[in-house]
Amino acid sequence: MLKIEHISKSFNSLEALSDVGLDINRGEFFGLLGPNGAGKTTLMNIIIGYLKADKGQISIGDEIVITEDINFRKRFGYVPQEISLYQELTAYQNLKIFGSFFGLPKITLEQKIDEMLELVQLTPRKKDVVKEFSGGMKRRLNLAASILHDPEIILCDEPTVGVDPQSRNAIFEMLQELNKTGKTIIYTTHYMEEAERLCDRIAIIDNGKIIAIGTISELINILERKDTLKIQKNYDTTKKFEQLKLLGEINEFDYFYELIPGEKFIKTSALFLELEKLEIEDEYVEVSRASLEDVFLNLTGRSLRD
Amino acid sequence: MNIYYLIIKDLIRFFKDKTAVILTFVVPLVLIIIFGSIFGGNGGPRGKISIIFVNESNSMVADFIETKLDSSKSLRLVKYYSDDNEEKLFTEELAKNYVKEGKISAAIILPKDFFADTSTALKFKFYYDPKNQIESALIQGSIQQNIMTEVPRLIPILMTRKSNDFLGEMKSNEFTKSLSGLIGEYFEVSPDTIFKSITTVDTAELLSTSSDTGSAAAANPIAGMVKFESEQLVGEEITNPGLTRTIGGWAVMFLLFSLTGAANSLFEEKQEGSLKRLLCMPIRKSDILWSKYIYTMLLGIVQLFVLFFAGSIIWDVDIYSNFMNLLIVIIVSSAAAVSFGMFITSVASTLNQASGIATLLILVMSAVGGSWFPISLMPEWMQYISKFTITYWSVEAFLDVLWRQASLTDIGAHLLILISIAIVVNFYSLLRFRKGDMF
Repeated sequence: MLKIEHISKSFNSLEALSDVGLDINRGEFFGLLGPNGAGKTTLMNIIIGYLKADKGQISIGDEIVITEDINFRKRFGYVPQEISLYQELTAYQNLKIFGSFFGLPKITLEQKIDEMLELVQLTPRKKDVVKEFSGGMKRRLNLAASILHDPEIILCDEPTVGVDPQSRNAIFEMLQELNKTGKTIIYTTHYMEEAERLCDRIAIIDNGKIIAIGTISELINILERKDTLKIQKNYDTTKKFEQLKLLGEINEFDYFYELIPGEKFIKTSALFLELEKLEIEDEYVEVSRASLEDVFLNLTGRSLRD
Repeated sequence: MNIYYLIIKDLIRFFKDKTAVILTFVVPLVLIIIFGSIFGGNGGPRGKISIIFVNESNSMVADFIETKLDSSKSLRLVKYYSDDNEEKLFTEELAKNYVKEGKISAAIILPKDFFADTSTALKFKFYYDPKNQIESALIQGSIQQNIMTEVPRLIPILMTRKSNDFLGEMKSNEFTKSLSGLIGEYFEVSPDTIFKSITTVDTAELLSTSSDTGSAAAANPIAGMVKFESEQLVGEEITNPGLTRTIGGWAVMFLLFSLTGAANSLFEEKQEGSLKRLLCMPIRKSDILWSKYIYTMLLGIVQLFVLFFAGSIIWDVDIYSNFMNLLIVIIVSSAAAVSFGMFITSVASTLNQASGIATLLILVMSAVGGSWFPISLMPEWMQYISKFTITYWSVEAFLDVLWRQASLTDIGAHLLILISIAIVVNFYSLLRFRKGDMF
């Protein structure tokens, strides 16, 4: 549905995006995962038309998006990273002002405002000025102001930055609800937990380049070694240290051994059988699942939060 | 030691804040320089005030007065006007019209009977427009100083005239003869010689000798021998001349402050992110700029109207006699002031920087452009600079409309210049916005 082809963008000598290509399906919840400064926001800004790409093109279906044609922007709902609201105005006034730019009939706009306030659970506070809101409430209103015009594609640029867990969950639920109604959502984050929880597919971006793309399992499959085991250090396990070394690579920590399974143990269940043979009880063993963090580390040699 | 580090911290923060630095050092320094140039006389010679001079008398004394006024340090005599590329001498009627139309502040006429009128010694006509009170007082003071300090030289002639006028020529002669007889007898000189020396005065010789020009006190006893016919041609009917003169200047200064602040709100919108949201909506950048321009201009119009309305209610400033033209000047001044605000917004990169630059420029423009005092008090180079300010043309237009009830044609040039400034500055600002990082 949304096709991004060979997008490049530089700011003076800094290459922010390099030959970025993505193909996002209709109704997909698509994640763009990468550390700060990876180029996520730049890509979002280009999609929405806020920035002009040096090279490449974007198309929705068969239509090529022309940056100068502001009508294309009606098809997007952009949730910016910053709280982009008029702080001295009420929630209702903010929605009315931002909604009025999309050419909605007055009655429809009023209905939409009510719906949005209900969706973001701010109906009782509609007449309160935004500056009196908590950070979470502002974030929710920020989202509402972006999707008031019922766009086909919702672009969320790290919409949960600085939000308390309760509001974060509320935002996740809202986005998931919107996705269920058929909206295509592109979600940038540097939190792998968010990407894992929300996204159907994820593109990992680093230094302006897409370095991997796929579903979570597809991405984890990139890893040569997936799950690791944490084995508690005690008299029994320490006595069997030499036998454990035969199962894979062992890293010793203060309170546990980390066992990275050897090549012959593709399935974790096979490894457990071997531990059973060594009479190491299950209660001393903990499986550490491979995550997107591991994928990123594997691909870049750096942590996501570096 | 903690105090030392805390002071260092404050110093570093202070010098990082360009606005604070500008407001603390640059603004006061610039204003001190301007004030010093105007009142301290260290900004070069004060500009001469132009007045029309018409000499219709053919007497030698009139020529003498003309020469004296020509050499005045504070007045520039304008004697000719241009008509079909031909320079012609002003007439009294034309001089009056020029003053009435606001083309010049005053005209001094030496009429045909300047030295022939037997009721007095010297007769001057002085037409003036006190739209600038200080300037008017300066002109009158300067003329009187120049004339009165020269009058003592004419005392013999004037005394004889007064005597003839009071006693009649025959009785006056008899009185002089008796006086000459008494003096001759006492000093043992021929009375005829004394009589001759009193009655035959060589005017040319008298005028060619040097006089004690610094002695203003000497002028007082003979003040009655000079007939000075003053006529205020403009503004006599104005109920509150003081405020009518100054309201425009102050209004323009506050207009610049408020409109620059409104234009700078783009920075606030950028900071709070709402500008980016707008730019991600189906809105053109030009729509944002135009809306800001029109909103700010409307704000300026309302602000000026409220100020003038308050002036009318509280201080009886007449805004209704020439209301339509006042409204036009309000609109055009607002347009020019907004363009200034947009210019500041386009050249600055932060709100703080914009505030600093704006404060500096507005105060300088207000001082140089005539918001605070007449520009005729300034050195000539400063008067020249003032012509490049929005303040000067706005203040002049308001003054013309309120003071002399000027017509649209009268203020046409002012309006055209303001509109031109607005167009040029806006065009430049648009280019800056296109290249800058506001959007």
